Amino acid sequence: MNRCIRTILAASAVALLAVPAFAADTLKVGVQAPITGSYANEGQGIENGVRLLAEQINAKGGVMGKQIEVIPCDDQGTAMAAAICAKDLVNKGVSMVIGSYTSTCAEAAQKTYFKAGVIQTSDGTADGLTEKGYWTFLRNSFPNSAEAEFAANYMVNVKKYQRIVVLSDFSTYADGLANAAEAAIKKMGGNVVSRDKIKADSQNFTPILTNIKSKKPDAIFFAGYYSDGGQLRAQQMALGIKADFIGGDANDNPDFVKLAGSAAQGAFIINVPSPDVLPYAIAKTFIADYQKKYGEMPPSIWGLMNIDGMRAIIHAMEQNKSFDAKQAVDYLHNLSEPLPGITGPIAFAKDGNRKGGAYVVKKIQADGSYFNEYVQ
Amino acid sequence: MDIFLQQLANGLTIGSMYALVALGYTMVYGVMRLINFAHGDMVAASAFVGLTIYTQVMGESASLGAVVLIFLLSAGSMAVVGIILERVAYRPLREAPRLSAVVSALGASLVIQNGIMLIWGPRMRIFPELVPQVYWDLGGVVISLIQVIILLLSLVLMITLYLFVEKTRMGAAIRASSIDQDAARLMGINVNSVIALIFIIGSSLGAIGGLFIGLYYRGITFNMGWQYGLYAFIAAIIGGIGNIPGAMLGGMLLGLFNAFIAGYVSSTWSDAFTFILLILILIVRPTGILGERVAEKV
Repeated sequence: MNRCIRTILAASAVALLAVPAFAADTLKVGVQAPITGSYANEGQGIENGVRLLAEQINAKGGVMGKQIEVIPCDDQGTAMAAAICAKDLVNKGVSMVIGSYTSTCAEAAQKTYFKAGVIQTSDGTADGLTEKGYWTFLRNSFPNSAEAEFAANYMVNVKKYQRIVVLSDFSTYADGLANAAEAAIKKMGGNVVSRDKIKADSQNFTPILTNIKSKKPDAIFFAGYYSDGGQLRAQQMALGIKADFIGGDANDNPDFVKLAGSAAQGAFIINVPSPDVLPYAIAKTFIADYQKKYGEMPPSIWGLMNIDGMRAIIHAMEQNKSFDAKQAVDYLHNLSEPLPGITGPIAFAKDGNRKGGAYVVKKIQADGSYFNEYVQ
Repeated sequence: MDIFLQQLANGLTIGSMYALVALGYTMVYGVMRLINFAHGDMVAASAFVGLTIYTQVMGESASLGAVVLIFLLSAGSMAVVGIILERVAYRPLREAPRLSAVVSALGASLVIQNGIMLIWGPRMRIFPELVPQVYWDLGGVVISLIQVIILLLSLVLMITLYLFVEKTRMGAAIRASSIDQDAARLMGINVNSVIALIFIIGSSLGAIGGLFIGLYYRGITFNMGWQYGLYAFIAAIIGGIGNIPGAMLGGMLLGLFNAFIAGYVSSTWSDAFTFILLILILIVRPTGILGERVAEKV
């Protein structure tokens, strides 16, 4: 008798322990983003956007009855922290990860998510991200090679520059973009007089710019981030280098203009269109909601691209009526027509690349605003 | 030749910022035999304080008076922080083993760095263009107004400090305390107030260095103190730690060395070369260039 009661007690204890795990079942969405550090601005934009979308979906009853739980992890924009984040998020049982902002961090985390079968969607634009054959990776932006092609065409065929300097930092994204641009410029018959690299965050770029000056360039193409780009532009003008400055997409941030100050005027930045000029109705509502909740515009289009990635994955899960990661990715690889997105139509190629591409060349005006100089 | 002169100008500008910050390390070391690791973070804090004074207190009015006021207020507030730091983190450990004091210094560095992050946030903050963007093209070598200001002001400050330490009674007290604190005490020198003075001078010079960084590069981050602190620390060692002219010389040399390595060898390898230089100097002349301690009559 005694033993019988004990068995029942033990069994009910096990049952009690097991039940809450089912009751508190949520759809866990990881956010891997640089919430602190040099790219904190962008990282916080991604986290804010994901929280807003989760809130909106939860208010409508969640995803197939499950509420979304956002689990952020700060990768600080460094590969080391990104690898730790990946392990941490996988251990916490997320079913998808939004981010990170930089290609370096997305790359450092890729393998962990692939091994765990967790879908990862990042705005990282380095071509290498989709070359590893990880089915878990979905790029929600357009790859560097598309941008490099556009930039090279603009510099060689539209602006007809004769002496181009290609500059980048050492990050996966910037190096990839610069190499692709260099190759594309040469292919189009352009003349690259120098291909240099800077160390991100080193602030003092005058030594390398002094060398660049001696090569008498008429254009400097900089693949790298705004925190360096703004300072490069300021120091370029301070050294009296009269070349056009053409920045890659990651220079597109309000801080670029603030850092470069009065030197910002006349600089060109190549990017996909900025949030405020997105023509889609869905974009206008989401950005209005974002402004209402956070009192500011999204820092750039990159956060919105990540939101599009998240929306696409959730849409796929709902269509499949399953939370299975592989099925969701298969669905997205084989869309019959693109989904409407905040940043334009979304469709994915088999290798995880987002299809399409739309770039603009923006010229910075005296008051720091953009003028769309050339549209693809 | 243009390139050489341009790199020289670049190097001197950076070098004078390193030198200002290095003075803080070297003065504290000279008297207390302690590396004040929190110094670099106070340099960063000063840039943030200066920016806040400009935007909040002065309502973003850019004039010469405003800039002078920012310098005075930031240097003053960092001098106060320096005194507090010494009282809280170093004085209780003065008789303790040296390792304890070093650990306390590292702790203070983390407290200040994270304090900056909590107060001003993790994002990069941006200085306004307080100094007009004026450039002079001297036959291919371009020099900007801000470079001239940094170089001249640093030189004036360093010469003043040198004269203060060498020619005044208070300076003699500093030199005496750095040779032998007990003997200095027996001679009627209040070593505690000498140490407080050291922290006031070192911190305000560092504060001015921090404002230069803000004005010159414009972008400031909460963790930048580590980078500048490390460079200034190396500058202090190169010149001979504990030696005031040595810190000035070390800072200038390091600035020039960096500029020339980055310009002529590789900008990405300049850090590696800096540390190789440090190792070579430590092997060949462990006391630094001017660091040899000769018997001194005070």
